Amino acid sequence: MPILLIAGKEAGELLLSVRGLAWLLVFSVVLSAFSLLLVSDTELSLLDNAQVVYDMTGIATALGGLLALIVGVDTIAGERERGSLVPLLLTTVSRDGILLGKLGGIAVAWVVIYVLAAPYLWAVGSTGQNLSDGLLGLALLGTPVVLGFGFLGMGLGAWLGTARTGLLIGLIVLVLAASPLLLGPSLRQTAVGRAFDAVNPFSAAINAYDAVIIDSVSVAAQATNLAVTAAWFALALWFARASFCRIAR
Amino acid sequence: MLIEINSLRLSLSGVPILHDVQLSLREGEIYGLLGPNGAGKSTTIAAALGLLVPESGTVRVLGRDPLREPRAVHARLGVLTEQGGFYDWMTAERYLGFFARLYGGSPIASALGDRLARVGLTPRRGQTIGSYSRGMRQRLGLARALLTDPPLLILDEPTSGLDPRGRRDIHDILLALADGGVGILLSTHLLDDVDRLCQRIGIIVEGRTVAEGNVVDLLGASSSPQRFRLRLTAPPPQAEIGNITVLASDGEWWTVDIDPAWNPEAVWPDLFCGGWPITEIRRDSGGLEDLYLALTERTAA
Amino acid sequence: MRRWHIVVVLALILQTLPARAGDLSIELAPDAKNPPAPQMGDNLSFHSIIRSNGPATVEGVIAWLSLVQIDPGREQPVDLEDWSAHKAVTAAALDAGETLEADWPLRLIQAGTYRVVVSAANRDGVDLATSPFEDFVVREKPVVESQRVLPVALAIPILIGIAMSWRRWNA
Repeated sequence: MPILLIAGKEAGELLLSVRGLAWLLVFSVVLSAFSLLLVSDTELSLLDNAQVVYDMTGIATALGGLLALIVGVDTIAGERERGSLVPLLLTTVSRDGILLGKLGGIAVAWVVIYVLAAPYLWAVGSTGQNLSDGLLGLALLGTPVVLGFGFLGMGLGAWLGTARTGLLIGLIVLVLAASPLLLGPSLRQTAVGRAFDAVNPFSAAINAYDAVIIDSVSVAAQATNLAVTAAWFALALWFARASFCRIAR
Repeated sequence: MLIEINSLRLSLSGVPILHDVQLSLREGEIYGLLGPNGAGKSTTIAAALGLLVPESGTVRVLGRDPLREPRAVHARLGVLTEQGGFYDWMTAERYLGFFARLYGGSPIASALGDRLARVGLTPRRGQTIGSYSRGMRQRLGLARALLTDPPLLILDEPTSGLDPRGRRDIHDILLALADGGVGILLSTHLLDDVDRLCQRIGIIVEGRTVAEGNVVDLLGASSSPQRFRLRLTAPPPQAEIGNITVLASDGEWWTVDIDPAWNPEAVWPDLFCGGWPITEIRRDSGGLEDLYLALTERTAA
Repeated sequence: MRRWHIVVVLALILQTLPARAGDLSIELAPDAKNPPAPQMGDNLSFHSIIRSNGPATVEGVIAWLSLVQIDPGREQPVDLEDWSAHKAVTAAALDAGETLEADWPLRLIQAGTYRVVVSAANRDGVDLATSPFEDFVVREKPVVESQRVLPVALAIPILIGIAMSWRRWNA
């Protein structure tokens, strides 16, 4: 099936190329550095342990979004610049089929990131609270957020034409979305802050992690946050398809 | 007719690129598409592939509209783009197998091996493409273009980056394909390639076809002399033959110009009868180069 | 019995009685199911009874839980944000003799020695009613185990690095 074939090719780019493995190495080094910082502190309270798990799920989501964005831009604009997109467009596979295959590649990238992050979460969170719910929350809410950034990258790569411009704009969007992590609670409580939080998929995921991991609220109660991330996923998917179907060469 | 393009007009982002392009390619024919950088050759090819939407004019490829029936056209078309476009982490065999599956076929090892053998890549089939030279990548691109045994090939700079032996090998492949009835549209800057391979050419300048037709006819219609290189076993007789001018010699090869009004096929018997000990005749692209330069300078002026 | 004996006996009797302030009194007791030697991560529960002792109805009653750490040198109030979601109870009115009962569950977040007290006030009152203190000790539990973290933090990047080298070697 062409879609699976193209998805497999995209997965191979990530897992079998030196460049793709380098990105995974960077991801794992960041998580390792964060984990090793904790080893020296043996007097963490239970709350701090939950905070660590919460922080690490947030980092996994942010880095996952970053990697998906890069993969998304590269799979369209990068391939076009390398000349490998046109041969794909000239096969008998439809545009939608090629797009779905590339989307599948981004999904594989997220699965790899999740699988890489899981041992770290187990290592720091197995003696604490709500690890399994945290992993479930990361899967349910992290997936639409991360894949959405991948689709955004694909759309930007197709629409803007150059990988550099697509990546630049995508990074700006990602930093804006992740800004709640940088803003203090008081700024997030302003009218503008609350409005932004309400539509920001990254905020929705982070708030859900907070509720599930720290406040021990059930994952099932995160319907509102899940709806925000699902809306982001759908919007980014529409953008990717609309941009890709207009691509010429 | 494999490709028919008439009065093609096309703009990109509001900028007119093609104003009036004509192109026709028949079965078994190798057609050379020439033109200065930025003339619109790649844009014309993209329109033929159905990747760009024309403003006006007609484009028919394999009897179909490539915009309305892209998959039907692509199924019977082999393309080698200038950049090639490969996945460095794959081996050549795996790469061809990937595309064979995308075209809906099952990649039989022997068929893939045949394609690789035709382009001389069998010894390197198991190595990753990242280790390939530019010339090897060109060969692999040609192998990919031949995957479905297409009746039509569109090749953009297929011999770019190849050494003389490599170029000759590619020439032989293309000539054999044309003999088998495959039509080949060849976009190139190398006039030597055009001279050796192409029966018909089209020259595009600033988005317009300024010349199209049989090479011999175009050279005859132009003011450019027809230039040949003759291999002689001894110096030619001193007696002049009016329609031929000797330009240079290195003792073995003699470069001559034939008056453009004369058909060279009619001149050779005169030379043989005049005692010229000719063992080999080759067309020198100088005539074609002069034609090309004359047309492009005239149009630019 | 000497006079000072009587004073001491009265003081002891008063100490055992529920604390009084105004018209409200509060009793506080640990739940019988609380673990005897709790550690971090365990749950404790306390039960309080707020009684209206005056002749008139007490209106606008609010009672809340307070927690302080009392380890020497580390005395400090504890923010109940992460210890309990159940921080206050209210009653619109308590008639004379009526009681308001409440359970106060706690999740033990950090090791140390703690004191919990329930306080109550009403709309028209001028005093604060407090319960007797209940003290408890939370034992420490190791939460970040280096024997888990080190292998993961070192092995995963090393494995990926090996994979990169292998691909580069075989390219």
